[in-house]
Amino acid sequence: MRVLHRLLFIAGLIGCTGIASAAELATYSVVIKDGQIIPARLEVPAGKKIKLTIKNEGPGPCEFENLDLRVEKVLAPGASSFVVIHSLKPGSYRFFDEFHPSTSEMLLIVK
Amino acid sequence: MLNALIVVWRESLEAMLVIGILLAWIARQPDPAPLRRGLWFGVLAGLGLAVVLGFATFAAQSQLQGEALEAFQVGMVLFAAALIVQMVIWMRRHGRRMKQQLEEQASRSSGAIGIGAITALAVAREGTETVVFLYGLGLGAGGTTLLGVIAAAAAGFALAAMSGWVIARGARFLSYRVLFRTSEILLLLIAGSLLAAGIDRMIGMDWLPSQLDPALLDPFWDTSALLDDRRGAGRVLADFLGYRARPSGILLIAYAAFWTLTLGGLAYLGRVPQHAHAAKAR
Repeated sequence: MRVLHRLLFIAGLIGCTGIASAAELATYSVVIKDGQIIPARLEVPAGKKIKLTIKNEGPGPCEFENLDLRVEKVLAPGASSFVVIHSLKPGSYRFFDEFHPSTSEMLLIVK
Repeated sequence: MLNALIVVWRESLEAMLVIGILLAWIARQPDPAPLRRGLWFGVLAGLGLAVVLGFATFAAQSQLQGEALEAFQVGMVLFAAALIVQMVIWMRRHGRRMKQQLEEQASRSSGAIGIGAITALAVAREGTETVVFLYGLGLGAGGTTLLGVIAAAAAGFALAAMSGWVIARGARFLSYRVLFRTSEILLLLIAGSLLAAGIDRMIGMDWLPSQLDPALLDPFWDTSALLDDRRGAGRVLADFLGYRARPSGILLIAYAAFWTLTLGGLAYLGRVPQHAHAAKAR
């Protein structure tokens, strides 16, 4: 019985925190298309956990990358993924598509 | 790049050590020619096995997508870290008696096929380890190009051939023991950086339990003013040793656990077995 109670308690805890964090998590969507990253500029708050969803609309594969944050996502055409970043410091972070390094750029401005 | 070089150097040196010991043993046998052919055939077979594993890895990677791909990559990175630790401890434990063990195996095996099998297994072992390590390293350090890894691997192999040749010539200033000790330390540090890469990826995928958030997932301290991990020396330390200017608490815990277990494991399991001491005393 005690074990069951404890399990229920833990399950409840997971449920609560899961809902809480899902509600708080600020999500921004990024689309990569024809070697361009859209938007080219994205402002996010500093010191907060954020989520970037990334979708590759093709035509070729892409690699969404930022060297400073060690983010590296390889996406086939049509594929999507996401990355969660914890507590960024104010500043600007340059993301690019490694397969189109000259045409693609997204500046993540953290304020 | 440097870590790929070190990994290939050390792995090739191990394989060459095995080949060297067996060649020396073969030279003392009454009919060495077929045995020698068996050995080189074994080398080729071992390399073939490693290449097959390499292709299988990339085939698996191209088949997978989304979360499954991420899971596979995180798994490979962490597996590579564990494999490095296992290899270092294994070599510490058996390295000293390797010559004796290999010669025993060789004399028990019947002829060229047996020698070929022993060689193939040894080379395949080192080769597959190399494949796993390089794959993990490629994922660990962002922005590595395949070409760069190939160049580093080639340089590592050349370096191994050179140091192997120099030692075989009987150079006094270089010994296997010094080389292996040095590479041991470097490899363990590389394993630590792989661990960091794996944990960073897990945080990025939001896979770690939300109970840890934010206390253990947010940066625990910030030393970026002292040593920035984004550029210069800090950047090198980050890619090579897993330095983080703003490490998450969970990463610090993982590091503490990693080094405690690894050093403890080396001290405990890595001890030279008792009977070897006894044999030496005799």
